[in-house]
Amino acid sequence: MTKPIFKRAMRAGAVALPLGLAAWSGVPAVIHFTEIGAQAGVRAQHHTRHYEGKHGDVLRMFTSGGAAAAVGDYDNDGFDDLFVTDSDRGKPNHLYHNNGNFTFTDVAVEAGVAGGNDPLSIVADAVWFDYDNDGREDLLVARFGTPILYHNEGNGKFRDVSKQAGLTKFGNTIAAIAFDYDNDGYLDLMLGNYFKPVNLLDLKDPHVLPNDLDNAVNGGGVTLWHNTGKGSFVEVTEKAGFGKHTGWTLDLGHGDFNNDGFQDVYLACDYGTDRIFFNNGDGTFRDTTEKSIGFDTRKGMNVDVGDYDNDGWLDIYVTNITDEYMKECNMLWHNNHDGTFLDVSKETQTCATLWGWAAKFGDFDNDGWLDLFVVNGLRSAGKDNYIPVLMKMIITPGIDFTDVNNWPDIGSMSWSGYQKKKMFRNLSGQLFKEISAEAGVDNEMDGRGIAMGDFDNDGLLDFVQTNADQPALLYRGVTQGVGNWVEFRLTGTKSNRDAVGARIRITAGGLTQIREIDGGNGYAGQSMRRAHFGIGKAEQIDSVEISWPSGRKEKIAKTTINAINRIVEGQGIR
Amino acid sequence: MKSATSAAIATLVLSSFSWAANDAFDKGMKAISARDYPAGLSLLESALTQEPDNLQFGSEYRQAILKYARKIHPKEGQPADFDRSLKFFEGLMAKNAGAANGWLNFGFAVVDKIPAAGAISQVILANSALSYFTKSIEAKPSWIAYYTRGVSYLFWPKIFGRAPLAVADLELAMKMQKTLPPRGIYVRGYVALGDAYWKNDELDKARAMWSEGLKLFPDSTQLKDRLAKQGDDLKTYLDDVMDPSKRVDTDLKDLWTTK
Repeated sequence: MTKPIFKRAMRAGAVALPLGLAAWSGVPAVIHFTEIGAQAGVRAQHHTRHYEGKHGDVLRMFTSGGAAAAVGDYDNDGFDDLFVTDSDRGKPNHLYHNNGNFTFTDVAVEAGVAGGNDPLSIVADAVWFDYDNDGREDLLVARFGTPILYHNEGNGKFRDVSKQAGLTKFGNTIAAIAFDYDNDGYLDLMLGNYFKPVNLLDLKDPHVLPNDLDNAVNGGGVTLWHNTGKGSFVEVTEKAGFGKHTGWTLDLGHGDFNNDGFQDVYLACDYGTDRIFFNNGDGTFRDTTEKSIGFDTRKGMNVDVGDYDNDGWLDIYVTNITDEYMKECNMLWHNNHDGTFLDVSKETQTCATLWGWAAKFGDFDNDGWLDLFVVNGLRSAGKDNYIPVLMKMIITPGIDFTDVNNWPDIGSMSWSGYQKKKMFRNLSGQLFKEISAEAGVDNEMDGRGIAMGDFDNDGLLDFVQTNADQPALLYRGVTQGVGNWVEFRLTGTKSNRDAVGARIRITAGGLTQIREIDGGNGYAGQSMRRAHFGIGKAEQIDSVEISWPSGRKEKIAKTTINAINRIVEGQGIR
Repeated sequence: MKSATSAAIATLVLSSFSWAANDAFDKGMKAISARDYPAGLSLLESALTQEPDNLQFGSEYRQAILKYARKIHPKEGQPADFDRSLKFFEGLMAKNAGAANGWLNFGFAVVDKIPAAGAISQVILANSALSYFTKSIEAKPSWIAYYTRGVSYLFWPKIFGRAPLAVADLELAMKMQKTLPPRGIYVRGYVALGDAYWKNDELDKARAMWSEGLKLFPDSTQLKDRLAKQGDDLKTYLDDVMDPSKRVDTDLKDLWTTK
């Protein structure tokens, strides 16, 4: 029986039906978004952490992330809600309850999830996941500190269960993903750590910064936490094969890159080599970086995963820094189907997005091809530029980069700020065209995270952009003349309930597409759990096949287009 | 008599030294041609040790290092592939500080590493290269040294204020080349000085310099391309030319092969 709340969501989907059906003419739509953060009530102002003492300015600059957003339907009313982080001491996080009419109400304090920015901890990221498979989204708040795991009590309240869950280890965590690496039906956790595990708010030794600005190996690496299925987690970092990674992890992405039914992992690392690990299927991973992608010296900032060319294999998009001062180029790793990847960012024209942060794939015009949105900008402040000041330090012979005392204060200077965001329209998997201005998304804020959602269930993707030391933006998709669409909300039974790792393969209008449900891919932003497909002018779905993490393969009949289809593992559409 | 004998002995020693250096160089080049890089590089190092100021020896040695790097790691090589030559030149120049061409090749060896390095290492390397080019000028001012340092300044973003330094060096190089017998390689002076004027926001002077060069070198596509572009097109073109992440051709062969 369909839950009433889900019917409500379906009604919202039905409202959008005429628009989708009537409008698509086969002519490419002009992708457009309207920024409605203020009227929607989600204009959360972010604050980076202030530090005491003479190192304060430099440390604040080095930790100017922390503006994150996570989309999840915590109350199961069929409308995705939104958690937005803050980072300065005592500043509250925000839990925006979706009112179903594109307005939101901040209920963080009542729900008990506002805290986390205590004197010795900094909130940096968040991820929704149902760790105990009770049907309610729980919340992990990642910190420069110990993480906080909030159990969703089901009455609009959350309870801090970090201690009993065993999540008490300190780390300077900047990224978190929840995925089931061993397909045992419970979501595990991977935490990406930027600095090595020293408390920057109580700094004893100033040698904490990268030991090389292109090949640093003194970062925090990652930790992997196995879900015991009994409400707790056990660290398996070494056992799983991640212990040797000591880079400055800035983002994590997972996906089944070799179509073997197990989730693999890509680590984007600042100041040096990204890493790719393939899952051996026995609870361990192998580092295939050299063979798969080669060693790089870039500033990996983001990992998003999607099949941009619809060849049935997941590709990876990583942002780096490409501006007046550094010419790194982003990486669009095309999956070669053999465990190796080829960077095609230059060929596809997705190379240069300035000082990149988050990037997310999404089919913004419902034409069946994944488009791309990238945020950028480090620090937009005064007219003076920090680069020449910094350069003096960098070219000083024998300088010790690790010593906070050697870095010049940034004060009120700007550094790669006021950068226009980049949106790319996918031209049939061969090329991307930059459309930022016409799409209305070329703001100049200091972007950090992107969280995609369909907040009004109309089949058009919306998204939140978080910004460091600036307010968040909410972009509503208002593109006219879009194609038809279909969304799937999956519930695992033998698989983890959130169905993270499930792969949906649809064929419609002669085009086959895949999506995999992810557990927080992309820097500082978790997108909605629902899988969204654009199908262009197709008026029916010819086939839907789901590969569940449990190994079950399921063909789904009677899919409804321009609607949200709810599928329970082994039971088809419900 | 004594001094004449000494001079004769010195000449004999020098010529045999030169013969030995040339022999090592020739054998080294043959080994490189046969892709025996370890042997070839050792022989070229031997030649350079005997003649640290030999521009050709240094240039060919660096090209061999680059070929070897690309053989081991296709495309641009890995940063460590270039460390052999940097270490070698460091030792060579510590003992031969007056060898202007040695400093020049040391600087170019650093430049050769840049495309293989990360973005921030590139800055550090580019700055080191500049310091070696300066040492070359200090040891013995030459057209090639001023031209090289001037062009190196052009790769720095404007905010670092090095465009006026590029203009100064390249104007000196131009002054020098106008006093030397004409050679095809001097087209580079016109191209680079025009580029420096452009980077220094002196567009009229840039176009005048490129035009002057085209009168002397009417087949120069570099000059024609620049003169054919305006505004943003020209900026895009020159930004690409001055992209520090792209490999710069540091093969000095033109100096001894062109007229």
